[in-house]
Amino acid sequence: MAKMDGGKFFGTFRACSGIKDAVVLTHVPVGCNWGAAMFKTTSNQSDIRQACTVMHEREIVFGGEEALREALVRADKLYNTPLLAVVAGDAPAIIGDDIEAVIDSVVLNKEVVWMDAAGFKGTMREGYEEALVHLARLMEERNVIKNSLNLIGFCPDDFKVDADIKEIKRLLNSAGIQVNCVISNCSFDEFVNAPAAELNVVMGQGTELAEHMKKAFGVPYLEVGYPYGLEGTKEFINTICEHLHVGVNEKKLDFDLEPFKRIYLYLHELYGTPVSVIGDFHAEPIAHFLDCELGFDIEVLASNEDDYFTFEQNVRNSNTTILFGSSFERNIADELRIPLIRFVYPVFDHVCVYEDAPYAGFRGAVCLTETILNAVMSFGKETG
Amino acid sequence: METDVKLDIDVKAERYGKALETPEIAGRGKGVLHDIFRDRAFHGVHQGTTWQLHRYGINCKLSGSVYAVTEILGAIPLVHGPIGCSFHQRLTPRRIYTPIQDMPCTGLDENAVIYGGEDELRKKIVDSYSRYKPELIAVLPTCVSGLTGDDIQGVIHEVEAKVPCDILYVPSEGFAHRDRRALDVFLKDFTKAWKDPAKVPAYEIRGYGHEEVMLALVDQIMDDQYDENADNLVNIETFGRFSYGFESELKEMASLLGKMGVGINTTLLSCTVDAIKKAPAARLNIVRRGIRWAEQMKKEFDTDYLRRWFFYTGIDGTEKFLLYVASTLDLDGEAEEVVRIEKKRALQELDKYCKTFKNHVFALFTIGFFFTPYSVKTYALDFKIPLKYVCVDTRWMRAQNVSDETTESMIRGMGELIDDWDLGVELVVNPNLHELKEIAKKVDHVLGERSATPIYEKEGISMIDTSIGAYLFNRIGFNGMLEFASYLTQEMKKQRNHREPIISKFDYDETYYPILADPMCLASREMWSTMWRLRSG
Amino acid sequence: MKTDVEVDETARYGKAKALEAPETASKGVLQNVFRDRVFNGIYQGTTWQFHRYGIDCKLSGSVYAVSEIDGAIPLIHGPNGCAFHQRLTPRKMYAPIYNLPCTNLDENDVIYGGEEKLRKKIYEVYHRFHPSLIAVLPTCVSGLVGDDVQGIITEVEVPCDILYIPSEGFAHRSRESLDLLMRDYAESWKDPTRSPAYDLRGCGHEEVMFSLVDQLMEEQDIVENLVNIESFGRFTYGFESELQEIKHIFDGMGVRVNLTLPTCTVAEIKRAPAAELNIVTRNIRWAERMKENFGNDYLRKWFFYFGFDGVEKFYHDVASKLGLDGEAYAAVKKEKMQALGELERYQRMFARDDFAVSTQGFFFTPYLVSMYAQDLKLPIKHLCVDTQLLKGLNISDRTIEIMMKNMEEAFLNWDLGFEVVMNPTLDEMSEIAKNVDHVLSDRITPPLYEKGGEIGMIDISTTRYLLFRTGFSGIVEFGKYLASVLYRERTKRKPIIARFDYDTTYYPLLADPMCMASRGMWFTMWSMKSEKKEAQNGNRC
Repeated sequence: MAKMDGGKFFGTFRACSGIKDAVVLTHVPVGCNWGAAMFKTTSNQSDIRQACTVMHEREIVFGGEEALREALVRADKLYNTPLLAVVAGDAPAIIGDDIEAVIDSVVLNKEVVWMDAAGFKGTMREGYEEALVHLARLMEERNVIKNSLNLIGFCPDDFKVDADIKEIKRLLNSAGIQVNCVISNCSFDEFVNAPAAELNVVMGQGTELAEHMKKAFGVPYLEVGYPYGLEGTKEFINTICEHLHVGVNEKKLDFDLEPFKRIYLYLHELYGTPVSVIGDFHAEPIAHFLDCELGFDIEVLASNEDDYFTFEQNVRNSNTTILFGSSFERNIADELRIPLIRFVYPVFDHVCVYEDAPYAGFRGAVCLTETILNAVMSFGKETG
Repeated sequence: METDVKLDIDVKAERYGKALETPEIAGRGKGVLHDIFRDRAFHGVHQGTTWQLHRYGINCKLSGSVYAVTEILGAIPLVHGPIGCSFHQRLTPRRIYTPIQDMPCTGLDENAVIYGGEDELRKKIVDSYSRYKPELIAVLPTCVSGLTGDDIQGVIHEVEAKVPCDILYVPSEGFAHRDRRALDVFLKDFTKAWKDPAKVPAYEIRGYGHEEVMLALVDQIMDDQYDENADNLVNIETFGRFSYGFESELKEMASLLGKMGVGINTTLLSCTVDAIKKAPAARLNIVRRGIRWAEQMKKEFDTDYLRRWFFYTGIDGTEKFLLYVASTLDLDGEAEEVVRIEKKRALQELDKYCKTFKNHVFALFTIGFFFTPYSVKTYALDFKIPLKYVCVDTRWMRAQNVSDETTESMIRGMGELIDDWDLGVELVVNPNLHELKEIAKKVDHVLGERSATPIYEKEGISMIDTSIGAYLFNRIGFNGMLEFASYLTQEMKKQRNHREPIISKFDYDETYYPILADPMCLASREMWSTMWRLRSG
Repeated sequence: MKTDVEVDETARYGKAKALEAPETASKGVLQNVFRDRVFNGIYQGTTWQFHRYGIDCKLSGSVYAVSEIDGAIPLIHGPNGCAFHQRLTPRKMYAPIYNLPCTNLDENDVIYGGEEKLRKKIYEVYHRFHPSLIAVLPTCVSGLVGDDVQGIITEVEVPCDILYIPSEGFAHRSRESLDLLMRDYAESWKDPTRSPAYDLRGCGHEEVMFSLVDQLMEEQDIVENLVNIESFGRFTYGFESELQEIKHIFDGMGVRVNLTLPTCTVAEIKRAPAAELNIVTRNIRWAERMKENFGNDYLRKWFFYFGFDGVEKFYHDVASKLGLDGEAYAAVKKEKMQALGELERYQRMFARDDFAVSTQGFFFTPYLVSMYAQDLKLPIKHLCVDTQLLKGLNISDRTIEIMMKNMEEAFLNWDLGFEVVMNPTLDEMSEIAKNVDHVLSDRITPPLYEKGGEIGMIDISTTRYLLFRTGFSGIVEFGKYLASVLYRERTKRKPIIARFDYDTTYYPLLADPMCMASRGMWFTMWSMKSEKKEAQNGNRC
């Protein structure tokens, strides 16, 4: 089986680096550190908050604890950060470094949280879930802020993450709901204060954290799909409002069809177009939008945890004319000479820096539709 | 000196880590249906726009002429007119997905209008040859050059010695075109032909532009060549516009005809200039649109022609067509056997799907148009689909200025044919929503066309979009039918979510769907309708 | 029955039918370089940037090298995460390696061993991809677990070759390695016979080359006048056109190119020992090994082979190694003279004006400058050398001092007659700019200088690659390009990238405390792995 999954190390790294003023100290040989950095910084080149213990031959033979100790002390001095997240990868797990003992042996001015993130021990999602639970011990009991919630499930390197969050916040605010914390894409203080929320909204991953917070702080949680499309967004807002017993202002929740009217004939022509989708938890909600609101026919819907060869084979055997996935799908898209719409991690050959061009929410429905249409219209010549 | 260092583009592709195998396993994805879906997505995305604009206007003759010329490999259209004509014709409606990049223009200005533009034309012909080295320059006059009375043919005659390529003159001035009632008249004739195929109308879309090019090619470019050794050749008329899946159709045609002992001389106009010259080497032209050019070829070169009409669809229709081709070429015996075998094979394969269909009950929802009864016949007799209802939406025809009288006669004709063929379906004209819902409850599947499906889905009526059938039923060959049957079988199994397509949320005008119920748009449509009527022939 | 129907989508869809290859379209060398620089090089800054925060492991270089081989598949023996991230190998980020199978070692395999998985995976990979070669690349995990990868390879029977590469990623070069190398290079500027035999430890690429020599290449009868050329994809913009020119010159000399290693097929690699000579462009270890195993000689293409004379010398040295002196020399001379003839008109144009050149100090600086001054005959008044980048790469002040000293000595010996200005400030640069007609910069600093709208520079950072080619046409193309841009009107620009606060030492790092701290951490942690320290600890480096 072949999977396009980064393994537990990547999931842990992504969760930890989502605390935007934290520093991630990877206890790994250089390659793992490089890889994590590479994927994170496609659209974030100015945000480098990681360091590595540089496990070398010597550490492999004699153990990496000394290197870790040295790194902790130095990081404590060098960084002005409230949190050091120590992420231990494959090598220390095998050689048996006692991370906890090393951390206990040093006096640091920062909070330190460590986690065993050996890649071979699980999937990327499992790494993410576990990491958040580890980080949760930093949270503190708070008075509940009425009509506030936490959004759980994000990573700082999700495609369109900042734009999506901005749009989701806009929608929730217009419903009178405040976003307390976005996990994992928030500051340390916001994370610590997460228990102040009246509700946790789990958007695809992070259920374990939500469970933990329910037990530890009594914060209830709700699991919803990622808000793609007009209907998907409406459902998202309505469900949340219902749970928070906030009346829905239909007028404010009304979406503007005007942008769609301007290109509606193209939408007519693309109705019934066969497409395929692959991704993490974002995949199913986007497929729903494509199916129900754009009228596409979903030929193949797969998860990044499924066997990739089978996915490719299924797509080859289908009539797929547009592919939705990550940058990894460029290969099969090129082979089949069809356009690829990138919407899910990892995206390393497109940037997303404009915060007013989301894929989520009402505005996201417009932006995504525009992207799809442009991809199709400009692709026409490629078939020749 | 020999070296095995590869330096072509393949090396670059390999160097950049392309997939290391050509997937032998790619199956369905490389077939007919895939071909059509791709064309429909990447080219057809523009179709709605061009159809929409036809409610507010039509393009001029130049448009069709430009398009036709650009289908020819090695030909360049040279527009003799102001720069605006060539600017906008680059986006010829028939090929918006591939704008025409190489289109020189004489750029007539005020001076040229006063003093004449022949000199500009003379220079431009020479310049176009030098720049593009085409095999053919097609000179396309415009309204302006038509009005100023430039002697284009005279200029061509002067210049032709100076350029090594052929030069074509096409009368493409854009101020003569069909009138508003043309479609109404045509449909009326067509309806008669449904019952009596001998009465098929020899229709010509006046002001179309395409026909002018075809005629000009026959008159000016084709050479009288009769190749003694190639007396079983046919030409096939192509028509790029919206002809989705053309390549796969052509492959099948070539294969089928080949087995029958028939060779394809060329596909007009999607061919080279040289092939056009040699077109008269064929004994038969297979015509898919207007027949005037074929009649002219018959007159000048004694090349026979066969118009592929709607009654040549379906299994029997396809067989009939192929046999007719064989007969015209005196190949009856051997060809008959080939056709028989192919038909049998197709029927055998089709039978697998028919077994699935027969266990379900269907309704068909369609907009009434040229071939409706024959499409219904194909569903009922070829696919043996148990059709209980045929719902016809005639609103679209009214939007195309087809009179109520003609519409009524079409519906009457349809009903009569359905009875004659003993199809046992109930014809329902313009069912309202409630009626359609009731019908949907009484059947297992509703087959619909893409134009209406989104609207009805919103109301909870789930339809299987069979608009792809339009591109599969009309092919010369049996494979299209098989592909459709396979596609329908798959679609029948799919679970259909309740959908609320965005396009179903708009307010459409009832009559002129899919025009939006917007006062400004509707007023513009009315203006066009009125002004056009005033110019009726 | 015959039919001349061509079912050709290109024709049907009316692709622009320019019926002749337009003479005006620049299909030449420069366009090749610009294209590569844009479409591939867009990622270059990112990979260089990351080198200030870390390095990738050996697996990275190995994966890349294997992906260069036509018909080869790299198979990673490790956890999924390794394959996940190595698809985006830094040397080829513009073309991710999509087909990168992996044994996906999990916790069970770490405990019980992953050999069985490897065995199965090799079969599966063969069945799926039908490659000519499977290169098995172990990782830290499989290395630690102690799987007998070579043993498995010996057992498994598939119709293709299988290569074992020691690619476990926990041994790599030390922080000082570049400093040592720079110092050696600086010394060799004075005495080219002292060119360093450098080996980038932990690169991964070398390991692959070595394995190819040991495990794949086959004994061959050496064919006279046949050469192999080492290719190296990374940042080699315009490689195709360069290779074309090399072939052309070799043709004239009676030399044939056997293959470009490792950008070739597996079958070709096996036949590599048929070449009489290997032309090495990076490290020599693999070539030395080939010499040892098969008797093939090698010639390392060093920095002194740049410029007209340098290129000529290179071809002479090749000819000499192959015993082809006489006629070969004539062929090379002809190419050289032709190029010089073409360049002459541009040289005349340059002679009318004064120039300042802004360059960064690095491996080849004196020779690059010599090309500007002696080959292109640019009347250079000031040479501004920026050594900040060197500091950013952990080059010591002492080494920088030696570099500058040796550089200036070289310039003096060559009688180049310009003033050398080290690390000019913005004001100094401004004064210099006023003093000359044109300022050329082969760095990415023009945006910085343009920020104030004061100093317009001609950016030659892309076209500079033309000067490092193994041929004469690059220099001519450069001259042609420079002539065409020299008198272009320059609007005052305010590039967005000039608006950021950069760290002055580690440009283009942003002056951001977090980024700087991350750089500092890397600097420190890496230094703890210096070879000196390893030696002190009694460990083999």
